[in-house]
Amino acid sequence: MNNLKKYLFLSIISLAIISCEDDSIPVANNVTLAFNNTFGNTTIVLGDATSTEATQNTSSENQVHHFSEAKYIISNIRLINKDGIEFPYNVNNLDTGATIIDQSNPSTLQYVLNGIPSTEYTQIKFGLGVKAALNTLDQELFPAFYSADKKLHWFWATGYRFTKIEGFYGETNTPLSVHTGSVLGGDKTDETTWSSEAAHARNAYRDITLDLTTNAKVGENAPKINIKADFNKVLSGTNKITLNAATEGYVSGSAPSHHTSPETMVQFVDNMGGNGDTDITGMFSIESVEN
Amino acid sequence: MKKLLLTFCILWMISSCTEEKVDAPFIFDNPEIAINIPADFPEVNDSFFTNKPTKYGVELGKKLFFDKKLSRDNTVSCATCHIQENAFADQNPKGIGIDGKIGFRNTPPIQNLAFMQVYNWDGNKTALENQVLVPIITPEEMDSSILEVIGKISNDATYIELFHKTFGDDTITGERIFNSIAQFEYTLISANSKYDKVKRKEGAIFTDNEAQGYQVFKNKCANCHSTELFTDQSFRNIGFPVNPNSEEKGRTRVSLNAKDLMSFRVPTLRNIAYTAPYGSFGQFATLKEVLDYLDKGVIESDNLDPILKDNNNRIPLTEKEKENLISFMKTLSDLEFITE
Ligand code: HEC
Ligand code: HEC
Repeated sequence: MNNLKKYLFLSIISLAIISCEDDSIPVANNVTLAFNNTFGNTTIVLGDATSTEATQNTSSENQVHHFSEAKYIISNIRLINKDGIEFPYNVNNLDTGATIIDQSNPSTLQYVLNGIPSTEYTQIKFGLGVKAALNTLDQELFPAFYSADKKLHWFWATGYRFTKIEGFYGETNTPLSVHTGSVLGGDKTDETTWSSEAAHARNAYRDITLDLTTNAKVGENAPKINIKADFNKVLSGTNKITLNAATEGYVSGSAPSHHTSPETMVQFVDNMGGNGDTDITGMFSIESVEN
Repeated sequence: MKKLLLTFCILWMISSCTEEKVDAPFIFDNPEIAINIPADFPEVNDSFFTNKPTKYGVELGKKLFFDKKLSRDNTVSCATCHIQENAFADQNPKGIGIDGKIGFRNTPPIQNLAFMQVYNWDGNKTALENQVLVPIITPEEMDSSILEVIGKISNDATYIELFHKTFGDDTITGERIFNSIAQFEYTLISANSKYDKVKRKEGAIFTDNEAQGYQVFKNKCANCHSTELFTDQSFRNIGFPVNPNSEEKGRTRVSLNAKDLMSFRVPTLRNIAYTAPYGSFGQFATLKEVLDYLDKGVIESDNLDPILKDNNNRIPLTEKEKENLISFMKTLSDLEFITE
């Protein structure tokens, strides 16, 4: 009993000491990721087929296009400080560590990371999409993320759609539709049986690495990192893609939709998320860091 | 403090005494059931060994398979589309699910799946346990979700008892649902057709037509419809009429490789007489139509299987050969499988 009292006393003292430190520099603070979805330097305005307000973009292959919908999943977020130490942010929990950026819903464009340890960060890494181990549509594990947007469920593959873009192109406003996602389907035994090229195509998750233009100083400050996602890259990134009318049956080609042309999906994936090798930024870049 | 502890101990002793008097202790006893693996059947899928059928697992899986609570509005069960009389396929060209919605492909039979390495027309799953969730959440099939299903069945005393007997406690999880349904599926083995009885020399003999049909089959079909399951489980494009749904790309949907356009897993031919219509979207009403089509000539394409391509895009068959082939294919019917 005496011992217990001693411990209690000690812990109260140490608590007091810790809280003293708290007052001067917080041990942790928030970091806000703000996404600016653009065509080049222009923030995208969405619109239906005949919209006059929608932002028009012209691809490297001279196809004029605009979007009516643009959504993507960000997960597996890590901040790296100046000593090269990586701080993972709920990387194994989609409910608390992943988010859906939806251009039609402004509140989704900012994602607040809570309780980031105080230090100076120089780099951010995140995933476009969901890494294979978590990409199983597991409602029991992650009920909130599962229900966040059912339009992003890829039922047959029992995984999420990582990006979903709808829009129109050409003079007659032909619909375009780019859906990407992994087709591994959470199968344990599956991955090993594929060539590295096929595995790269089938696992559409891409890790993005961005150097911060100014160090993000977490402590007294709760910095905001402004990230640009340049959707011009969808068609005009490393792969120059020409949209064709949806093809039926045997004809393969670079049709606009993943559904109608799954063999071209990897080109869209690599344009947006990089190839994980020579391109680790894809369509993303840092616009600024506000401390 | 000491007094308190003592009181607790006494209370605890009392409560455990009463418990023992009222309830016999639960003894967990859920033995694996013996699965007779038919001679010469292909290798068993790895997943079988980590989820071997057990007495109560199979009972639970069967109950779930026939339970309409697995669908959003309690109108559709697995057995709505996978009907035993049709070797657990159905008679619709394409699956018909909730609200009468028509799906994308023909419903395949559920039989001998323990011996398959790839599932569905395009092989998009490699373990049965991973397949179960798909129809539950697909909007055209059952349009539900696993938490919705768990919510519904967790009010049901029979289920709670079965989960207890199967897993040793009452907890209902998605994984347990998937595993028990897969266990039930593993037990659906069809190997008692006339063909099997002839092979096993159990007194049955082929008629002349059947025997001649078997010869033609060995010459013209067994390249692909090989092994005792009558499928080599490869993906091939044999130029069948194409599904008008532009989402249909065959195996390419999974491999993302244009070389696999409109390639499908070679279907088993066991119980084929019970599973009309035929083809990935039920494009043929009868076996005769399938054979007429192969004989007349199929759709040419870059990746058409060489067996057809090198033969003017066809498998030539005389009327007599077709008749005999159909007689032979009917020897693959297993009446016990669809009735017992
Ligand atoms: C609306 C009709 C429908 C319902 C309901 C349905 N299925 Fe199916 N099932 C299908 C169709 C169609 C396919 C083929 C899918 C494909 O190839 O894309 C299939 C394929 C399968 C396969 C793969 C068979 C093979 O040969 O590879 C299994 C196993 C299966 N279903 C089990 C189930 C289970 C278990 C349930 C209930 C949880 C269920 N199905 C509910 C229509 C249905
Ligand atoms: C080159 C490989 C190959 C050869 C040779 C072949 N088949 Fe097939 N068969 C397939 C494939 C693949 C399918 C599924 C094709 C599809 O649905 O598009 C199929 C489908 C069928 C079906 C429909 C099955 C169902 O459940 O829908 C029948 C019946 C059939 N074949 C019988 C035969 C017969 C009889 C022969 C010999 C005359 C034959 N096949 C030769 C590969 C082959």
